[in-house]
Amino acid sequence: MTGEDPGPLIRLFGLTGGRARPQGEMFDLVAIVTTVFGARPPADLQPEHHAVLALCRRPKPVADVAAHLRLPVNITRVILGDLRREGLVGIERPRPAAQTIDERIYREVLDGLRSL
Amino acid sequence: MGYAASEPGTTAVAPALAIKILVAGGFGVGKTTMVGTISEIRPLHTEELLSDRGVGVDDTSGVEEKITTTVALDFGRITIREGLWLYLFGTPGQDRFWFMWDELALGALGAVVLADTRRLQDCFPAVDYFEQRGIPFVVGVNCFEGARRYDPDKVRRALGLNPSIPIVLCDVRERASVKEVLTTLVTYAVEGP
Ligand SMILES: Nc1nc2c(ncn2[C@@H]2O[C@H](COP(=O)(O)OP(=O)(O)OP(=O)(O)O)[C@@H](O)[C@H]2O)c(=O)[nH]1
Ligand SMILES: [Mg+2]
Repeated sequence: MTGEDPGPLIRLFGLTGGRARPQGEMFDLVAIVTTVFGARPPADLQPEHHAVLALCRRPKPVADVAAHLRLPVNITRVILGDLRREGLVGIERPRPAAQTIDERIYREVLDGLRSL
Repeated sequence: MGYAASEPGTTAVAPALAIKILVAGGFGVGKTTMVGTISEIRPLHTEELLSDRGVGVDDTSGVEEKITTTVALDFGRITIREGLWLYLFGTPGQDRFWFMWDELALGALGAVVLADTRRLQDCFPAVDYFEQRGIPFVVGVNCFEGARRYDPDKVRRALGLNPSIPIVLCDVRERASVKEVLTTLVTYAVEGP
């Protein structure tokens, strides 16, 4: 995995201003990202940031955002941190699965799995 | 656009929920295959760029040190309905990526530990890991061709597993088989032994 074209990495470096880690929270891979309704993105927003805003009009977990952007999770987190600081997205810290899965969700998951 | 806003108090619909399930086990045991068999999306290879964390990154120099090591993270998705998903994460096999396990395991519903009967010891670290943290897991014995169909009790004894932990013989290339493993895990994680 090393020795590849360094171009994309250098571009990534620019995208995040060299930050490989987000400031503040280490967003969980399944934290839910939602574009804030009616938010006005600044004109100079980068394409990746715009892409997140479009994607997350329907709530999406961080892992999905990274996959859609085809960017590493760390880089995606930096972008998400930026967007949140600008008030453009909300990022909901997930609670442990054991606390969020009630009887109804449990049934839905089992039925869903069985009908795959 | 009628999308739900993220501001508290303004959302009318149930909050979106993504449930994490880990797929762990030794090198080449079938983790990626399992995720790919059941995922509705091609197993995504989200590359995690390692930064300045102490992970014993190969010796490099200068700024490159921050960004040259990557580890592929398998990830697959099962949509139950809009706003309710299961996410499967294949854990990285190499020891030096343990720190990623901690992040992945946080808040997870549970884990599937895949085992290959020809080298059962390879899944010891994963079993230990989940046992120590009290994360519910089931053991999936991946029945490779040529491997004898093992007696689950033998596997249990060899792994020193608590009698309550489910063991499922599986073929991770088969959808039905992977479904069985996952329903077993979900049931066990929610209802307990
Ligand atoms: N015959 C047989 N082959 C399998 C089975 N499961 C996986 N394989 C093969 O075993 C090889 C390794 O499978 P992977 O799914 O890549 O294993 P992995 O655990 O992701 O491997 P690493 O990520 O390298 O640790 C692949 O060539 C698979 O096609 C199985 O049930 N039967
Ligand atoms: Mg793999």
